[in-house]
Amino acid sequence: MSERPVSYEDVTGTLRERATEALGDEQLRTNLRASAGSWAAGRKRMDEQYPFQEMREKGREIRTRAVAELPQLLDQLEENLTATGGVVYRAADAAAACRYVVELAQREGADLVAKSKSMATEEIKLNEALEEAGLRVVETDLGEWIIQLAGQHPSHIVAPAVHLNREEVADLFEQESGGPVENEREALVAHARQRLREVFATAQIGVSGVNLAVAESGTICVVENEGNGRLVTALPRIHVAVMGMERIVGSWEDAAHILELLPMAAIGDDAAGYVNLITGPRRPDETDGPEQFHLVIVDGGRSALRGGPFEEILNCIRCGACLYACPMWKSVGGQAYGSPYSGPIGAVLTPVLEGPHASSAGQLPHFSSLCGACHEACPVGIPIHDLLVKARGQATEQRPRSERVGMWLWSRLWSNPVAYGIGRRLARAGARVLGRRGWIERLPGPAGAWTSQRDVPTTWPPKPPSS
Amino acid sequence: MATEAAQQLIAALTRRRASGAVVSADEVVAALDRQLDAWNVTRVVLADDPLLEQLGVADALGGDRREVLTWPPRLGARELLGLEGPAATCGVSVSVAAVAPRGTLMLAASTGQGRALDAAAAYHVSLVPDDRLHDSLAGALGQVYREGPPPSALSLVSAPSRTSDIEKISTLGAHGALGLHALVIAG
Repeated sequence: MSERPVSYEDVTGTLRERATEALGDEQLRTNLRASAGSWAAGRKRMDEQYPFQEMREKGREIRTRAVAELPQLLDQLEENLTATGGVVYRAADAAAACRYVVELAQREGADLVAKSKSMATEEIKLNEALEEAGLRVVETDLGEWIIQLAGQHPSHIVAPAVHLNREEVADLFEQESGGPVENEREALVAHARQRLREVFATAQIGVSGVNLAVAESGTICVVENEGNGRLVTALPRIHVAVMGMERIVGSWEDAAHILELLPMAAIGDDAAGYVNLITGPRRPDETDGPEQFHLVIVDGGRSALRGGPFEEILNCIRCGACLYACPMWKSVGGQAYGSPYSGPIGAVLTPVLEGPHASSAGQLPHFSSLCGACHEACPVGIPIHDLLVKARGQATEQRPRSERVGMWLWSRLWSNPVAYGIGRRLARAGARVLGRRGWIERLPGPAGAWTSQRDVPTTWPPKPPSS
Repeated sequence: MATEAAQQLIAALTRRRASGAVVSADEVVAALDRQLDAWNVTRVVLADDPLLEQLGVADALGGDRREVLTWPPRLGARELLGLEGPAATCGVSVSVAAVAPRGTLMLAASTGQGRALDAAAAYHVSLVPDDRLHDSLAGALGQVYREGPPPSALSLVSAPSRTSDIEKISTLGAHGALGLHALVIAG
């Protein structure tokens, strides 16, 4: 198990408890429904304007090829970026990546770090590492800043504060500034703009993520809409970019396609507001841009996935579309997952990055209806539902022997037509005994755990539940 | 006469609440002046670019109404960000290329055009000669990265600064420019 697991260690309760609590939060569910609806409308517009299916196939081919060529592409990226004066550090795990950035900050005498949104730094818990070393870290993406003020974790890959409404945001801003803040959206955005400009002006280090790296020129791409990504990568004296090792393509043709797909899938628009393509530090004749550029490439369990049953998860471009499409995520939001990576992709990525022996994330693959909506939404065609089944298999290998034997026996019985028929007749008889008005609300014995959160219809189609 | 590609660029930018116009070289200064007035801009930071020099932009925009500086403007980060000095500043850049169908402007960092020029200022106007318009992102990026050493930074700008982080409703003016205007120079 990694020294710094992907899951959040400060999250309390079981997945079931967190999900149950989220299901009871009407405000949260209203916020989630609104955001998923807004995403779906944008995505529909893109499907109508562009040949999305063809683009998806090409995206899948590009990502599959890049993962196959990963070692060579990383070497090429490092060579080209180093030639521009950039420094590349390959970190085997989260701890090594954090150590590198903390030591750099200490060596340079920095005390303030301005961050733009980055899932990789969320994964490696860089903020915590920097804060433990006495540095002040300020998130500058509006959504990230809001949840930083709230002391929470992001609930969506590209919309981290989607679970909060403007009244809740205004309260947080008032607490931070100590003055009154109007709870209108425009006023809230203007307030954040003013407060965070001080951070852009004074931070010695800017930390960004990397949406994509391009090996042929040694360039990193930071995609955003607010402009904070640009300011974080242009104004501080030092820029540190942190990327998961798989976020790379070979050529600009491939990069252009992914950069077109990403905003279409993520925000339902055919271009992001800002795409920052950075090839090293400022040149000797330039007057702005960082004097130092460091790229930290994090393995964190990724190289072990190549060539294995979960290799396709490395194709992910972190658009968050599968979250908005998922009936589970839409019901409980991302915080219930207890991981930076929530939704269907997080339910696979978290346990496979942590490895089969990490128990905390083992429940996540079961948190899915396996409806396949995630696969349909994915702009690079990752069969997430298949990977969820595989991840369930992996998690089940860790279960007690008695449970595994029971599941094996059940599988054998139901693979046999005669035994299956008998089982069906017994189930039908049981339903007549236990059913009330067309539903079984409670099963006896250990099976009761299964019905503690769901009812079973005794007829098909099910009768409307009685109020 | 405006080209179809130029109109495509303006239309795509306008969908994202930016604005723009197709103008002849003779009309650039007047169009720029009108836009700066519309935003009540009191300080302009111009890219040090041969095109702006050739059009006489610095001389034409100066005067009593606003201060005109050329990159590098010798301003600190606080002034660039509007924390000190005039808040209504505008960066005027020249796009090295643009993608017409998707409404994307491309700004290459150089000695005369800094990385922060457009995003630190409150407003941004970019000039795009129409022979720099491309019909695909791949074509535009191919031109920039294959026809010479790559710039230290290439900024793709397709909208004013915006965020949907509060209730998933797009709101302008998060951190970058509150207003974006493209002037496509025809001919």
